This record gives sequence, structure tokens and C-alpha cells, in this order.
Amino acid sequence: MTRIGTALKWLLLVWMAVVIWAAFMWVPSASGFKGESSRIVFFHVPTAWVATLAFLVSCVASVMYLKRRSPQDDNRAAVSAGLGLVFAVLATVTGAIFAKIMWGAYWNWDPRQTSITILLLIYAAYFALRGAVPDPEKRATLAAVYSILAFVTVPFLMFVVPRIYWSLHPDVITNPDPDNRLDSAHLRVLLASLAGFTGLYVWLYTLGSRIEAIRHRRRQEVL
Amino acid sequence: MVPPVSAGISITFDDVAKRYDLRVIFRAVSGRVDPGEVLLITGPNGSGKSTLLAILCGLLRPTRGVVRYRRDGGDEVSREEWRRHLGVVAPSMAVYEELTALENLGFYSRVRGLDLPIAIQRGLLERVGLDPDRTTPVRGFSTGMAQRLKIAQALLHDPEVLLLDEPSSNLDPAGQDWLEDQIGALVADGRTVVLATNDRREMTWGSRRVSLAG
Amino acid sequence: MSRWLAEVLAVAGKDLRTEFRTRVALNALALFALTTLAAVSYTIGPYRLSAEDRPFLLSVLLWIVIFFAALAGLDRSFVKEEESHTAGLLRLAAAPTVVWAGKLVYNLVLILVLMAILAPLFCVLMGFEIVMPWRFVAVLAAGGFGLAVTTTIVAAIIAQAMTRGALFSVLSLPLLLPLLIFLIQGTTAVSTGDLATWSASLRAVLSMAGVMTVVSALLFPVVWRD
Repeated sequence: MTRIGTALKWLLLVWMAVVIWAAFMWVPSASGFKGESSRIVFFHVPTAWVATLAFLVSCVASVMYLKRRSPQDDNRAAVSAGLGLVFAVLATVTGAIFAKIMWGAYWNWDPRQTSITILLLIYAAYFALRGAVPDPEKRATLAAVYSILAFVTVPFLMFVVPRIYWSLHPDVITNPDPDNRLDSAHLRVLLASLAGFTGLYVWLYTLGSRIEAIRHRRRQEVL
Repeated sequence: MVPPVSAGISITFDDVAKRYDLRVIFRAVSGRVDPGEVLLITGPNGSGKSTLLAILCGLLRPTRGVVRYRRDGGDEVSREEWRRHLGVVAPSMAVYEELTALENLGFYSRVRGLDLPIAIQRGLLERVGLDPDRTTPVRGFSTGMAQRLKIAQALLHDPEVLLLDEPSSNLDPAGQDWLEDQIGALVADGRTVVLATNDRREMTWGSRRVSLAG
Repeated sequence: MSRWLAEVLAVAGKDLRTEFRTRVALNALALFALTTLAAVSYTIGPYRLSAEDRPFLLSVLLWIVIFFAALAGLDRSFVKEEESHTAGLLRLAAAPTVVWAGKLVYNLVLILVLMAILAPLFCVLMGFEIVMPWRFVAVLAAGGFGLAVTTTIVAAIIAQAMTRGALFSVLSLPLLLPLLIFLIQGTTAVSTGDLATWSASLRAVLSMAGVMTVVSALLFPVVWRD
């Protein structure tokens, strides 16, 4: 464990603690939001962002695996996907809670909820596939191909669906972009939270990759 | 029509090993076979003969080691091109049951980009003794007939290399005699043959040998 | 080029011929589609939905039937080769892109035949009014292509795994959901006569199918070979 690494870990801990305190204590409740519900935005938006980032990292690692056939790339893809799944679940749950408080229903299939659901389904499918292939090289290859396939459908989800989708369903409750309603204090805490959660992801990802690398080295000693 | 074989193909394999996760099939196997030779791959059941054969076909990647196909002039044949020069007969590789013998050969010929006329396909079926049964779906074949069809399929594109995994299995004694003659003729013609076997008779057909015992 | 095409058609032809003789996938597709259609027609029928809901809800139902029928039968192209142990000789005889394109053509034929029978039947039984019939055909064709292309590459992937049945649906659905959304929109549009939405939806479907075609053509050899 390098000294910089240890220092960064402590920094992350302090950072997140400050963010959590600020989210609950320092920032006043935002206008236009019911009760204290605006505070969940500080956790919901970053987890959704990290879920997407993790997916991106996983896909890049997959492409690298197909190019270099290095087991480390496959490990990284799997670790990142695992983290992405956890954060996607967190994002879905926090989003549903927010939706319930603001609009009375946990789930109304607006574009964002639809997108995060599909991301969850992609992660679930990815791990189902990994679980179904016993041979490590085959598993790595097939998983890599699938994550690339999933990746190419995501832009259609994120950008094209929201634009077209609404013309059909004007009566569905709209989801106003919370960022528009936040003043500078809120914005600062949100950005800090984003940075903190990203740091959390990077730390967990590095840890997971190292563990997998050790596991892999132990297996290699057999041959 | 495939042009006649000009220069044969040699196969060399160095330090080839295969492992599935924690299970080692074999380690550090090397060998070589030249045109006009028959290389035997022998070893007890489960020693990995079929696996090694699959690696030599290009169907499996070795965990370690290199397999090379080279022409007499020294030009190397790339792995993607091996299949054009290979004829394979193996118990693990079947032909299409729902199609007839002739339809099977027609398919393999078309998909290889050969488009051999029916007369030639029938000629091949006659050579393996299946012409009278050419319009029967393979599902109705005896195991011996199916084996003959597999051999026909392997010879269809006149390959320089033949990889055979226990080719006389399911053949009656007359069939085995016939197969021995066929292999003899192919070898005399400058083809390269690799034969994976435990059968005593088949083992007499080889000049070189690689053993996977233990 | 023409030789490549002949090889592709050899693969597609072989699959269609085999399928015609055994009818396993056809039965799966047809039985699923017809049973679901009968159930929907019986419970909902032409009268139960209000006029303003009909275009959208009937679109949804139609595509759900098509999609699930597709998931019932379109994995067979690759799974059968592995199960019958014919994949080895195919790998040795055919170039990888030939195999991919041939199986794609096969899946495409199956799904288009299914739609040709199912769509008119659905419209008749459910009283689905189509204001722009040729544009409806365009949506069906585009959707069929999108379905075929996606299920072909996913079938190739799962054929190499264990536990194939459920895995095919699990892997296909996330990739097909965006397609489904656009197809429902486009079909609703041909029922209400909304040209702008139809055009936008068709373009979205075609671009998704196009991207999926290119990406799966590039990735297929990796999946097919070891």
C-alpha cells in the first residue's frame, strides 16, 4: 500500500463524510421539492452517474480483452460490471423513493426510470452469461462481446427514446430536471458528491481488480 | 474445381499444452509431419488425443505452444486458411441427419465455394460405397454408412491434409481394408495424414508417432 | 462477392430445408403466437378497448406476441448445430461471416413468415384499424430485421454456454427493449395516421438495426471461433 494510496483513501473518507453532513445539515431544503426530499438528489444523481461510468469502463475493458486477450482485462470488466450493478440498484431505489415523495408513485416509467431499468437488465444478463460459461477464456470472450453489444444499444436509449417517447404520453407525470431548480449551494454539494462517489468507485474498482489479479495468479501456478 | 496438389503441407507443433481452467489435458507436446507421411497420435482413453487433433485443425486454441502449417516452399498457411486444406473425420463431428448423403455433400461443396457438379459428388459417394443410398436421409444410416459419409465429406475438396480421429470405428472388416487402401493411396499422392488412434490395426499405418501417455 | 452470396445462401438454404423437415422452430413460433393471439382475442376481443386506447394498446399487444414468439424459436439456428455436433464440420467448411449471414437470412425468413401470417390475423381478430397499410408493412419488415439481427448474434453467444433456454431470452431482452419501444410507436402511428411519428420511429428502428448489423458482423467471428 503506497503512501499516496493511503492518503487518498483517508481523503475520500473525509470527503464523503463532509458531503453527507453538507447534504443533510448545511444545505437548506430546496424550494419546489416536497419536504426534505431534495436531499436525496445528492445521492441519487451520483449513483446513477457511477452506474453508467462503470458500464463504460467495463465495455472499454472488454474491447481491450478482445484485442489483447489478457485475463486482467476480463477481470477488470467483471469487477467494474459488479460495481455498476450495485450502483444501478442504489440509483433505482433512491430514484423510486424520490418519485414516491414527489409524485406519489414509486414507478411511472419515465425515460430515466426506463433507462436505469434497462441498464439493470443488461447487468443482470451479463452476469447470467458469465455464470453459464465454465471455461474462463470462453467466458471472457462471450461476456466481452455481449457488453459491447449492450453498449451500442445504450445511446439509442439515452438520447433517442426521451425525445420521441414523450409525444405519445403527454399525460405521464414529467420528471423535471432537478439540476435546474438548484441554487449554487446545492450545486456545489451535488458536484462534491459526484466527485466523492466517483472516488468511491475508483477505490473499490482498484481493490477489486487487485483481488482478482491475485486469484488469477494463484490459479496460474497449477499449470 | 480445386487445382491438383502441387506442394504438400507440413505441420509442426511445438510445446503445445491445453488446460481447461484447473484441469490439465496435456503438457508440452511436440511433433511434426511432412507430406507423404502418417503421424500417429496415441495414448490411453482420456489422454487428450481428440483435443490435440482439434488444436491441429484450428478448432481449439492451445493454452501454450505453436502449431504451424507450411508449404514445401516455406510459405506459411495462416490459421484462417487452414480449413481450406483440411479434411477431418472425427467421432465428435457429425454430418446433417435430416439431409440425404447427396444433400450433405452438396451443402459442404457449396459452402466451401466449390460448387462441384453432381456427377463428381456421386463419384465420391460411389468411392465410399454409398451411391445407392444417396437419397436416404442420414438419420436412416447405419453407423458404418454414416462413417463412410464422413470420410466422403473429408475428401470432398481434395485437401492436402487429413486429420483422422479413429476413422475405422464403425467400419466392417471390408470397410477397414478399403480405408487402409485409401490412406495408402493418399499418402503416396503426397498428402499429409495425422491419425489419432488406439486401434492396433490403425497404428500400423503410421510412420511417425507422438504419444500422449501420462 | 457472388461466390460469398452463394455460400451464404447455401447455409440459409440448408437451415431452411432442415427446418422444413423437422419443423421444431416453426412449431415453437407458430404455437406460441397463435395461442397468445387466441388468448388475447378471447379476453379482450375487438370490443373491450375504448376507441382512443386502441391504437396504442393493440400495437403493444401485437409486438409482445411477435417478440415472445421470436424468443421462443429463433435461437435454434445455432443451438441445434452445437447440440447435433454438426458445428465442428461447419466451422471447418464455411467462412465465419458466411455462417453469420446465412443464419441471419434464415432467422429473417422465419420471422417474416411468422409476421405475414400473424399480422393480418391479429388485425382481423382484434379489429385493429390500419390507416396506412404499406407503412405498416414497412414497420413490420424493419422490426423483423431488427429482431433477426439481434437474435442471431445472441443465439451464437448462448449456443456456447450451458443452460441455454432461459439465457437466450435474458440476453436478448435488454437489447431488444429499445427496438420494441420504437416499433410500438411506429405501429401506433400507422393506426392513427400520424406520418411524422411513423417516419421518426422507422428511422430509429432502421438505425438501430443497422448498427446492430455492423457490430454483430464484426464480433461474430470472435464468438464462432475459439
